[in-house]
Amino acid sequence: MSKPPNENLPAYKLVVVGDGGVGKSALTIQFFQKLFVTDYDPTIEDSYIQHTEVDGKWCILDVLDTAGQEEFSAMREQYMRKGDGFLLVYSVTDKQSYENIVNFHTQILRVKDRDVYPMLLVANKVDLVHLRKVTEEQGRELAHRLGIPYIETSAKDPPLNVDAAFQEVVRIIRNQPAFDLEKGRRGRRRCCIV
Amino acid sequence: MADDEESVRVEERVKIKIGEAKNLPRRSHGSDANIFCTVSLDQEEIYRTSIISDLSPYIGEEYEFEVPRLFRFLSVYVRDNVGPGTSRVIGKVALRRQHLSNIHDMDHWFPLRPVDADSEVQGKVHLEFKVETIVPNNSSSEPKHRLSVRLIECAELSVKNGACDPYAVVSLLYSNGRVSSKKSRIKKKTTSPVFDECFFFDLPDFDREDLRASVRSKASTSTSQLYQLRDSPEAVELQVAIRHDTAGTTEAAFLGEVKINLQGLLSMDQKPIWYLLNPREGARSPTAASQNIDLGSIRLRIHYTADHVLPSAAYSSLRDLLLASVTAQPVSSSAVFLLGEIVGAKLDAAQPLVRFFMHHEKLVPLIKVLATHETARVIDPNTIFRGNSLATKLVDELMKVSGPHYLRSTLKPVIDAVLSEKKPCEVDPVRLKNPAEAAANLENLLGYVRQVFKAITSSALQCPALMCEAFHQLQQVACSFFKGNNEVRYSVISGFIFLRFFAPAILGPRLFDLTTETIDAQTHRTLTLISKTVQSLGNLVSCKERQTVKEDYMQPVHSLCYTEDHIKAVRQFLEIISASSNPDKHVMAEPVMLKEGMLIKRAQGRKKFGRKNFKKRFFKLTTQDLSYSEKKGEPPLFCIPLSDILAVERLQEDSFKKKNMFQIVQPNGRALYVQASNCVAEKEWVDLLTKICQTNKQRLKHYHPAAYLNSNWLCCRQTREDAEGCRDVTSGLQGAGLQLSLDPDRELERIHSLFAAHMNKLEALKAACEHQSYAGENTESTTNNISANTSLPPLFEDARSCFNTLRALKEITLKLVQRHRSHLNSAQSRTQLGTIHAPIGDDNYLLLTTRASLLPDRQI
Repeated sequence: MSKPPNENLPAYKLVVVGDGGVGKSALTIQFFQKLFVTDYDPTIEDSYIQHTEVDGKWCILDVLDTAGQEEFSAMREQYMRKGDGFLLVYSVTDKQSYENIVNFHTQILRVKDRDVYPMLLVANKVDLVHLRKVTEEQGRELAHRLGIPYIETSAKDPPLNVDAAFQEVVRIIRNQPAFDLEKGRRGRRRCCIV
Repeated sequence: MADDEESVRVEERVKIKIGEAKNLPRRSHGSDANIFCTVSLDQEEIYRTSIISDLSPYIGEEYEFEVPRLFRFLSVYVRDNVGPGTSRVIGKVALRRQHLSNIHDMDHWFPLRPVDADSEVQGKVHLEFKVETIVPNNSSSEPKHRLSVRLIECAELSVKNGACDPYAVVSLLYSNGRVSSKKSRIKKKTTSPVFDECFFFDLPDFDREDLRASVRSKASTSTSQLYQLRDSPEAVELQVAIRHDTAGTTEAAFLGEVKINLQGLLSMDQKPIWYLLNPREGARSPTAASQNIDLGSIRLRIHYTADHVLPSAAYSSLRDLLLASVTAQPVSSSAVFLLGEIVGAKLDAAQPLVRFFMHHEKLVPLIKVLATHETARVIDPNTIFRGNSLATKLVDELMKVSGPHYLRSTLKPVIDAVLSEKKPCEVDPVRLKNPAEAAANLENLLGYVRQVFKAITSSALQCPALMCEAFHQLQQVACSFFKGNNEVRYSVISGFIFLRFFAPAILGPRLFDLTTETIDAQTHRTLTLISKTVQSLGNLVSCKERQTVKEDYMQPVHSLCYTEDHIKAVRQFLEIISASSNPDKHVMAEPVMLKEGMLIKRAQGRKKFGRKNFKKRFFKLTTQDLSYSEKKGEPPLFCIPLSDILAVERLQEDSFKKKNMFQIVQPNGRALYVQASNCVAEKEWVDLLTKICQTNKQRLKHYHPAAYLNSNWLCCRQTREDAEGCRDVTSGLQGAGLQLSLDPDRELERIHSLFAAHMNKLEALKAACEHQSYAGENTESTTNNISANTSLPPLFEDARSCFNTLRALKEITLKLVQRHRSHLNSAQSRTQLGTIHAPIGDDNYLLLTTRASLLPDRQI
C-alpha cells in the first residue's frame, strides 16, 4: 500500500442508514477500527474520518453512522442533504428492516431532488444463516427495483465484504456522470399550482 | 338511513413539514436575504417559521393542526424579512385541498410562483339578477327593459394590511365594448358585508318577441322562461368586483371578482346565488412574463387525512373485533396484529390504535401481548425492541400522547440554558480550528450533560402513570424470556425512555415543542453531543463490561461521565419508572400545563362605553386554572379556576367586528371575550376549553352567541346582563377525559380507512391463510415441510383462527365502505349548487365528499 499523499484529496461524505439494530455501527466500526463490537449501544449520530485508498486512488472518507429508530426520522433529512453516497443497510434476519429500505431510498432521492443518486444496498448479518428471513434473491430483486447495486456483508469476525461495501460506494460516487444540476433532476411538477 | 346522514362529520388533519428552499432569487441590492415561511389556509396565516439568512435555507419545521373550517387552498409563502415587521413575498406554493391527498406524506419539490394582489383572493358573493320590464307612463313609447342586479352580501373576504372596508363595483359589459359601472356603498371593518343594494342597467333593443321565437325553436325543456338579449349592442357579461377601500391613500385593494356570462340566456326566476370570488384575469397579462422567472423551489412534506366519521353504532363490530385482540389466541391471529402486517408504515396504524385502546383502557394489555409475541422471536437480547415493530411503535406513540408535559417539564429549563448560553462544546479535534480549545469545550459539554442527566434522573416521580405501567409490563415480558440476564431488565426500559424519548428531543428540541428558537450549526452540534452522551449513559447500566467507545474523541467524555454514581442514578431512575405501583405518581401535586399562548382579550372590568379596550395577554391553561399575564413568565393578572368555566362558546363576529373570537362564561353571566390570532388557534383553544368545561357539573345549558353591549344582548335584545342565554350550548363528545381529547369513533374510522386502503393485502393474506389451513388439514404431518418449502413468507401460527379474523375484517370493512358510499351519494344529491356551502365556481364542493375515506389515501 502506498502512503497517503498530502495534497488536497477528494473527500467523500458517506452516510450509513437503515432500521434500528441492523448493524450499521457494527459495519462502520469494523471498517474503521477492524473490530467487532459485541455490546449494543444504539447510535444517535457518530462520525468517523479516515484516509483510504480505493482502486489505487487516495481519498478522505467521512462516514456518518446514524440512528435507526423512527423517532429520529424527522432529523434524517439533515444528513441526507449532506451525504455524497449512502449505504442502505438491512438485516437479513429482520424482514421489517428490509421492507423499510424503500422509504430511505425514496426520501434520499426526494431530498436530493434527483432520479438517481449513489447508493448501495447492504444485506447485513449474513453469517446468521439459520435465522435468515430475507433471501439473497429477495435482496437482489429489491436492488434491481431500486436500480442500485447489492452486497452481502457480515461485520462479525471474520468480516465479510465490509471494506468492499464502503469502497463500492466510493466507486459509485466516482463513476457517476459529471455532476450536472439539470441532469438527473426530477421533472418539475406543475400540478396543484395556481 | 336519513337520520344518520346528519351525524356524519368530517375531521381533517394536516401535518406540514417545511424542509428547505433552494435557488431563491437574490435581493436586488445584494444584501443577505432573511428567509422565513408562512403557512396559510386560504388567505389566513396560521403559522410562521423562524428566519434564516440563506438563499438555500434549511428550515426543517413541522406544523400539525386540526382543520377548523372549509378551505380551498393550503399555501406556503416564502418571504424575505426586510426590516422589523415588514417582509417581501418571494413566492408561494398553493395547494388545492383535493390535491393534498395526492402528495400524501411524501417529500416534494415545488417551484415557487409569483404572488400579486390580484391572485390573492378568497371569499364569495351573494347575487340576484333579473330582467325587469318597465312600462312607461307615456303609453305611446315602447316598454323598456333593464337588468336588475341585487348585491346581497359577501362572506369570508380577505383582510388587506389588517383591514377590510369592502365595496363592490358592479359592471355590465356590452358587446360594443361599452362598460357601465356602478359602485356600492363602503362597509367598514367587516369581512362579511351586508350590502343589500340594487343596481339597474338599461338593456337597449331588447326584443321579447324575438326571444320567444328563439325559445320555441330551441324547444327548451326548461320551465323557466328564457330571454335572449339580441345583437347590437348586447349585454355580454356581468362583472362584480369587490375592493377594499383605502380612503384614497393608495389604489383600492382588489379582493376578488366574479364574471357572469350573460350571453345566451337570462332566467326570469333567478334565485339568489352564491358565487365564489376569483382572481383578476385581465391583470395577469402584465406579469405574465414574470411567470417564467425562476423564483426557486421549496421542499414540502404534507400529511393530510380527512375522516368521514359515521355514528358510533356503525363501528360496533370493528370495535369489538379490535378489542378482542387483547385476549386473542394466538395474538398473531388478532385484528390489531393483522393491521400491523398490512400497513406500509406501522406508525400509521399505531397512531389511531394507541388513542383507541387508551380510551378503552386496554392499551397496556395490548402492548403486553404484542411485546410477548415479539420477544418470543428475538434472537439477540441486545437488540430487543430496537427495530420498528408494531409493539415498539405503540410504546412510542403512547409516550408521544401521554408524555409531552413530562418531557417539557424535565428538559425545557436545561435546553433553554443551552440555547441562550451557546457555550462551545466541540470536542472532536478534527472539527476544531484551534485544538487548544478542546479542554474548555469538554468542561462545557460535561456541564450540560450533568444538568440534563440530573434533570432526567430526578424526574422519575413525574413520569406519567401510563408510561410507567407500560414499562413495567415490558420489563416483565423481557425478564420472563431472558431469565438470569440482569442487563435486559434495564436495557428494555432505557431503549424507550432514553433512546426514543429523551435523546430525540434533545437532538431536535424544536420538533418536540421545547423551543421555538432557531438553532444554529454550533448549537445543533452541542445538542448532538449532549444527546449522544446522555443516550450512552442511559445504555451504560445494561453493559456487562466497560463499553467500547466508538469514536476516539468521545473517550474523555466517557471516562469522566461513566462513574459508579451515575450508573446508580440511572438504575434507580429506571427502577422507579418501571415499578408496578408507585404511590406518588398518580397524585398530581403540580398543575400540569395544557396549553399556553398569546391571545387578545377584551377588558373585563369594563366601563359601559369602553368598547375597544382589547389587549394582548399571555394565556396559560393548566389542570387547575386558566390565567393570563402581561407576558410569558410574568405573574398572572387574572385567574379563573376551572370550576368557574361554565361555558365556552364562539362569539358572533359582528359583536366586535372581530374574527376568531370566543367567550369564556363565568358565574353571574360574566363573559371573558377572547380573540385568537387565527382560526386554527381558535379551534385548539375552544376545543380544549370545551372539553374541560364538559366535566363541570355547573356547566350552563344556554348561552348568548353575541356580546352584551350598550345595555343589551346583541343576539336576543334582552337588557338584563344576567339574562339567561338564548341558545343551547354546544354538545360535545361524551365520556372523554380531561387531560386528553380522545375521539374513539374518529380513530375507528381511521383504522377502517387503513383496512379499506390495503384491501388487496388483506385479500392476499386471506388467500395464503386459506392455503396453509387447507394444506394443514389434509396433510397434518407435513405442514412444517410445506411452510418451509414455500417461499410465501407469512407463516401463520394458527391459520384457522387467523382466517376467521381476516374474513370478519373483510366483511366489516366492506360493510363500512358501503355505508360511506351511500352516505356520499345522498350527500351529493342533497347538495344544491349556488348555496352558501356550494357556491358556483367552487370546483371542490363535490370532491369534498368524494375524496378521502373511500379512496385509498396512501399506497406505497
